Amino acid sequence: MGSGRARLQVADLAYTYEGRTPTRALDGVTVEVGDDEFLAIVGPVGCGKTTFVRIVAGFLPPTRGTALCDGRPVAGPSPERGYVFQEEAIFPWMTVRQNLEFGLLAKGVPAPAREPIVGELLGLIGLQGYERAYPAELSTGMSKMVEVARVLATDPTLLLLDEPFGPLDAQTRARMQEALHAVWAHRRRTVVLVTHDVEEALWLADRIVVFSPRPGRVRAEVRVDLPRPRTLETRLAPAFTALKRVVWRELGLGEGSRA
Amino acid sequence: MVTAAASAPVRRALVALVALALLYGVVSEIGSRVLPRRIWMATHYIEDVELTPRYASLAEEAVFLVRAGILQASVLVSSGRVLAGVLLGAAVGLPLGLAMGRAAGLESLLGPWVAFFRFTPAFALLPLYVLWFGFGEGPRVGLIATAVAIVTLHGAFEGARRIPRVYLDAAASLGAGRVLVLRRLVLPAALPSLVSSVRIATALAWVTIVVAELIKPAMPSLGYLLALAGAYPRVPTIVVAIATTGVLVLVSDVAVLVAYRWATRWMRRRVG
Repeated sequence: MGSGRARLQVADLAYTYEGRTPTRALDGVTVEVGDDEFLAIVGPVGCGKTTFVRIVAGFLPPTRGTALCDGRPVAGPSPERGYVFQEEAIFPWMTVRQNLEFGLLAKGVPAPAREPIVGELLGLIGLQGYERAYPAELSTGMSKMVEVARVLATDPTLLLLDEPFGPLDAQTRARMQEALHAVWAHRRRTVVLVTHDVEEALWLADRIVVFSPRPGRVRAEVRVDLPRPRTLETRLAPAFTALKRVVWRELGLGEGSRA
Repeated sequence: MVTAAASAPVRRALVALVALALLYGVVSEIGSRVLPRRIWMATHYIEDVELTPRYASLAEEAVFLVRAGILQASVLVSSGRVLAGVLLGAAVGLPLGLAMGRAAGLESLLGPWVAFFRFTPAFALLPLYVLWFGFGEGPRVGLIATAVAIVTLHGAFEGARRIPRVYLDAAASLGAGRVLVLRRLVLPAALPSLVSSVRIATALAWVTIVVAELIKPAMPSLGYLLALAGAYPRVPTIVVAIATTGVLVLVSDVAVLVAYRWATRWMRRRVG
């Protein structure tokens, strides 16, 4: 898992937010993500992890360094790199179906061809029967899953998830992680997940990259060799706890209570 | 769906109408007892006037105006002008406002013009319009259209500009082009703001038409009816004309409100 050629090659990436007091968000980040690999990026608040995925998505041009997706440099946003936002980005005036169809519409896929794709995605996120509902009628967690499915409709080679379950409560998060895991197991692809939640990263990812505080640099890489499919038992296994210790240590936490 | 959306505004409008009519009834009963029936007007006394005509006089007057066909014709003509003015004004204001909201260059180009005309009362343009368009339909419809265009332009501009960045980013990363973004994002996102600006503009159109019809008043129109009744003076005619205009304002407001509720149905959580 996680082997094979690199889908995403990021080399020496740096980003500085201009302004009265320029802020260096990233400084010399080099990361490679293999084909079908699930990579998680964790780091303290403000470490530039969102800046990192936004550059990979093409929303921000890097100040220095390069980002190559399938060997080609990233130039602007593209459906090749599906992006799920931290904020709520589901279109509230569209029904679930219209949201799911949007990328296909942009690609010019005719209605008969859109039908089965939307049907499959609805099944994948367990929202059959809700296709005519408006997002206001869904829970926050479910509309996030619609956003994930919306991005999958056009079959991106890379899936970028920026704190997708950030504002959710712990139980809903866990449920959404399971839903995401199921979707990913069904439709394998390269994923970059940005999160501040170490458990989320461990439970979902093949590998974790730990960022240092601002300016963000790669502080450590942790391979997550937990068996799949991952379950509740995975969360409770000693190996999981051991990895958790490693990641927390790399984040510079856990040494504070020494007597 | 539309009938369900319509019921609440219609009910509210009806309640308002009944309440107003009752209030007027009380006022007219008191007024007809305490107010003088002989008033001084410019150069002479007028005898036997009802300053606040009672229901009976109003009903009599209304029946006369309807039998003679004056009221219906006036309503038709004035409503026609309002409709033409609103459609024309919105047809100019809405697209221009949307374009300004989406294109920064256009905004800096047209912004000062809009600011200039925004607070210039449309009536200030009346003498100019009469000179430009003559005494026909031109200045009347033109005046309404101007007032409507300015209000709707502003609504469309605000609506198009306030669309959250994240939706545009999401659309871009899903591969949407300009046309799709305009049709599926900008337009629906701006729709509530668009419709509420049309609502304000429609009310404004009624204010404008009654005044606009006072220049070279011509039969049949509500403005003329008011001017004529004021010259006699025939107070019941004035009250009937005012009440008719009020009802028309209310009806057009309800129509726009129903459209608004339909346009924003996605905002409401359906129950059950």
